[in-house]
Amino acid sequence: MDIKNTLFDLSAACSLGNITEARDLAFDILKDFTDECEKTDNLTVIGTIKGESDYTLMLAAHIDEIGFTVTDIDDKGFLTVAKCGGIDLRTLPAKRVTVHGKEKVAGVFCSTPPHLAEGEGSFEDIGKFKIDTLLGEKATDIIAVGDFVTFEGAPCLLQGSLVCGKSFDDRAGVVTLLKLAEELKGERLPITVKIVLTDMEELGVRGAVTSCFKVNPDEAIAIDVSFGNAPDVSPEECGKLGEGAMIGFAPVLDKAISKKLDKIARENSILCQKEVMGGRTGTDADALSVSREGVRTGVVSIPLRNMHTDTEILDITDIESVCELLKKYILEGGVLNA
Amino acid sequence: MLKTLEKLCLLNSPSGDEGAVRDFIIGEIKDFCQYRIDNLGNIIAFKKGKNTPNAKILLDAHMDEVGLIITSVTSEGFLKFATVGGIDTAVMISRRVIINGNVTGVIGLKPVHLCHGDEGKKLPKADSLYIDIGVKSKEEALSLVSLGDTAVICGDYVRSGDKILSKALDDRIGCAILISLLKEESEYDFYATFSVQEEVGLRGAKVATFAVAPDFAIILEGTTAADIADVAEEKQVCNLGNGAAVSFMDRSTLYDKGLYNLALSSGIPCQSKRFVSGGNNAGAVHLSREGVRTVAVSVPCRYIHSASSVADIKDIDSAYKLAKYLILSIAEKKV
Repeated sequence: MDIKNTLFDLSAACSLGNITEARDLAFDILKDFTDECEKTDNLTVIGTIKGESDYTLMLAAHIDEIGFTVTDIDDKGFLTVAKCGGIDLRTLPAKRVTVHGKEKVAGVFCSTPPHLAEGEGSFEDIGKFKIDTLLGEKATDIIAVGDFVTFEGAPCLLQGSLVCGKSFDDRAGVVTLLKLAEELKGERLPITVKIVLTDMEELGVRGAVTSCFKVNPDEAIAIDVSFGNAPDVSPEECGKLGEGAMIGFAPVLDKAISKKLDKIARENSILCQKEVMGGRTGTDADALSVSREGVRTGVVSIPLRNMHTDTEILDITDIESVCELLKKYILEGGVLNA
Repeated sequence: MLKTLEKLCLLNSPSGDEGAVRDFIIGEIKDFCQYRIDNLGNIIAFKKGKNTPNAKILLDAHMDEVGLIITSVTSEGFLKFATVGGIDTAVMISRRVIINGNVTGVIGLKPVHLCHGDEGKKLPKADSLYIDIGVKSKEEALSLVSLGDTAVICGDYVRSGDKILSKALDDRIGCAILISLLKEESEYDFYATFSVQEEVGLRGAKVATFAVAPDFAIILEGTTAADIADVAEEKQVCNLGNGAAVSFMDRSTLYDKGLYNLALSSGIPCQSKRFVSGGNNAGAVHLSREGVRTVAVSVPCRYIHSASSVADIKDIDSAYKLAKYLILSIAEKKV
């Protein structure tokens, strides 16, 4: 499996609400690398790789993406929408989207013409940001209230191993787990691994709640993206692209897991960097750790620039680092043998 | 004409770097008219018609589009830039750009998660923006781009029903119409200029018009249409689908009333541009030499100067027909 090509395929696909293109694509890949693989009713994918013991490590990456849902359609084909996830309204004027109606429709967020501009504009109320469907009065034939809208934008290569695209948050985590499953195929695993592609992370870490209850793991690690270095981001708030797996340290995380991940990375010369957070992590880990009677949980992240835009940027080598780290961690028996 | 328009829109020609569009246009028109390139890079063409009118008629469309120019490179390899022509910050941030037609970059933005207080509700200052081309050092960046290189914001060409969604509709629409007029037989002689540097102050048209010394000028343009959600009728300027927009006044020109009335009474679908805003090459053309009687025929474009402009093909057809009608009527002294 080529990481870049699979990431690009997953990025171009959409998964939001009942739109499950990315989930279905990931399932088709994962089922070939796992002993069992299922799509659950709540839009999650669970792939099992059996090991020598029943001790179960759940690895979670979320398959959903940010977007919008249609709340109103006017008679000239303009849509009012609500946010699904953390959208930066400042980036919306003249931004292209795909409306998932009866068929896919190209749309564009209205931008205020210069002669009507009043100061810099207001970026607080999504209700003021209308989508032009280009369909005029025919919009209601194809689009209904409750339909979903996603960003449009094919992934592309930048220089070296850096790539740009939409929904790398968290298709980067998904592709990491798909590659990991391929790498583990044929290996003798001391523990059982469950690869879980969760839904509704962007709506407030919801899919991880039910999927972790179902999987009932002994230990869990969330694989997500985190802030990458950029000129307008302070160095203490971010990791650096190309400098490897960001290993999470936080009050809500299991210290033994964080330390073991860090130790394995150093012993095996796997590029890594520590990401220290003051409380929760803003990832699936926040829900995994409080599932049922509590689950020992870690986080490993891939540094990413321009998070929650259609121009997210990451370094493919960081995905490779995370994949290698997780493989070694599993082969050493997870935190069980820490 | 729409095939030509698509090809034109996908070319990158910010002001001062019009070469890509110029080369394409020359390839299209060279067998159908006489032409030359002037000192600034304008194409000045002459179309021989079946008859020679007493008046010299000029049609103009500009080749350049709004863009960016690289001004410096940071120690980490991020590119700082200035805008070339008017582009709002809100339609620049989190967009892809292409530099020199071959290096892809992104205008980055601090994630909203990391914004404190009102920071995430305000646009960043234009001078804080940067282009990320995915390199790790200044040296690596400078091996790919040089200071003074130009860029445009990327935007694919999409057809949806009668609508077109693309970058650079302003003014590749005018170029496509003018190419069509040059390629077909004409009743009367006319001159055509494909001008440079409109977006940085109508500079190409100034010298090209001096060279042609016309009596009449027809400016083919794209203009702002604000017929979008939540905009009051009287502020909509013009409406997609209602035909070419004809101006009586904008911020650069008080137009020739005779030509304006001639256009409106043509029977071809057209509408008045109903707001005094914007401007176009008419501003330079009508003041050339001793003055030139000038009319602007514009195709209404929503979200103009963004990489997601929207136009209606019915209006493009109207503008084409109206330009043709005006040549004929002016030559036959109907104004």
